[in-house]
Amino acid sequence: MCTTSCYSTASVNIGWTRKVTDPSQALVDITSTLLLLNPDFTTAWNVRKELIQCGVLDPEKDLYLGKLALTKFPKSPETWIHRRWVLHQTLTRLSAADSSGKQNPPEAEQADVERNQQLNYHLTQMFHTELNVCSDAACSYPSNYNAWSHRIWVLQHMAKGNVEVFHDELSTMRQWVSMHVSDHSGFHYRQFLLKELIDEFSLIPAPNKNCSDQYQSRTVPRSWLLRSINVNAFRQQPGIETMNEDDWEPELARLFELFHQEMELCSDLIRSFPGHETLWSHRRHVFYLWHQWRWEHQVFYLNRNGSTVLNNIDDTTRLKPGTEDCGEWGAGTMEVDGRSFPVPSDSKRLKRGFRSSNLPSLSSECTFLSTVLERQCNPEQRHFGLAYKKWLDSVIGKVLEEN
Amino acid sequence: MKLYSLSVHYKGTTKANLLKAAYDLSSYNFFQKSSIQEFMTFTSALIVERTTVGSRASVKEQEYLCHVYVRNDNLGAVVIADSEYPQRVCFTLLDKVLEEFSREVDSIDWPSGNPDTVNYKALDVYLAKYQNPKEADAMSKVQAELDDTKIILHKTMESLLERGEKLDDLVAKSEHLGTQSKAFYKTAKKQNSCCEIM
Repeated sequence: MCTTSCYSTASVNIGWTRKVTDPSQALVDITSTLLLLNPDFTTAWNVRKELIQCGVLDPEKDLYLGKLALTKFPKSPETWIHRRWVLHQTLTRLSAADSSGKQNPPEAEQADVERNQQLNYHLTQMFHTELNVCSDAACSYPSNYNAWSHRIWVLQHMAKGNVEVFHDELSTMRQWVSMHVSDHSGFHYRQFLLKELIDEFSLIPAPNKNCSDQYQSRTVPRSWLLRSINVNAFRQQPGIETMNEDDWEPELARLFELFHQEMELCSDLIRSFPGHETLWSHRRHVFYLWHQWRWEHQVFYLNRNGSTVLNNIDDTTRLKPGTEDCGEWGAGTMEVDGRSFPVPSDSKRLKRGFRSSNLPSLSSECTFLSTVLERQCNPEQRHFGLAYKKWLDSVIGKVLEEN
Repeated sequence: MKLYSLSVHYKGTTKANLLKAAYDLSSYNFFQKSSIQEFMTFTSALIVERTTVGSRASVKEQEYLCHVYVRNDNLGAVVIADSEYPQRVCFTLLDKVLEEFSREVDSIDWPSGNPDTVNYKALDVYLAKYQNPKEADAMSKVQAELDDTKIILHKTMESLLERGEKLDDLVAKSEHLGTQSKAFYKTAKKQNSCCEIM
């Protein structure tokens, strides 16, 4: 077959030497040919790494080749891995150039501003290109784990702590997952986004972060600290370097709304497209995420009438001793695991209340389940519904009992 | 979730006669499109031929699900979808298409008609509209049970064939498939049974 002989010739030409002794355009062309035939040829990608490092190959062109290869081989692991290497190199180089530029004298301010704008533009372009490459690959191959993992990597490295981007991604992907209801990786991406957003509001550091002191006393969520020191890759708008306390409450309300919407989306899809395990698995993840965070934080807030409402996770919620009468939202302290944290809010300034009935709870889950199970004749749907019920009883119910 | 093709056939005594078809092959690359279209026509016709009059069935083949309804007046329709697309909506679509088709195209023309002579333009519109099942169909319909409707499920194309009949033979003699498609079918079968060269 024609392509086979082409491939062997090109492999022979590459010489199989570990170190590139003669970096040239010819090598660029040979590796391009090879990789379009077989993008999992690691050696060829590694040769290209060396060509990039010695300046013969433009990283943008290399990224373009990768993008092309992915149109035919959307899963190719080596292509994605190499792509991350190139992006990492580029980001490091840009950030180094940026910080050295900052040492310029004050007279060069105008040039600085222009440079910043150009940098921001370049980074934004890169960011959107990556998202597009991921989307195309996700569409070409169902449950494309490699594509979605890459998307996660891009967000982690180019949009770290950028809450707006996460919100945006959640809303953009909503339609996509609705049309790909058995794409587990797509839903896993949503779980990642929700987890990132909820971690921004965590007053207890997540266990996988290196934190020796578990209960650092903080008056503002971690994300705002991050934002003020985050001068990395994807910049926020100039001027918004730190968030003040006034913005915290509406952000929290926004997060609550997000969880409510996610559960609603899940319910809608489960009802419209019976018998898809992915949807039930997603429900489990989202509910667990929500439940965990709520249990850890025991948040109190005002309902629209202004009186204190304990947000019941379920009808049998038991509070930890000492937290029963925490006072109203904005009274000055919030109890978490027996320690007091000052809450920097004034109850009168809470403009947006949130109805407790909207939030996910064990009782709302039971209601949902009974409506699904009573009308559903689809055997697979029944099976998944009952399994979910069992999970609720054994996992969630147990957590509440133990406390 | 995706719909790939929608076609209307007349089930004759020995074979099915293709009356009209619509295709959405946007997810396939340029080189594959024409072969894939021919195979979809071939498959649809074969399914109509092997489906009993007055019955509904779903036939699974690789990652595709082909849904068929052949009415008592021998008019049949096939929709080829992926495995995510809800089955119920497919059958609603088939009912709708056949009802409209039988009103607009005279039954005299069914046994002998072909896509060039038959004047029915709505198939493309339906195929496009139903790509999003929730928009195309009111919620109540999507969720409603198809009462008293039996749908036979075939796990492979092979189960439609007679004993001793081979799909390869049917492919070879099919008039729906061009020479290139038949050659492609042979190579594809071979490639699947050989290991790839790394």
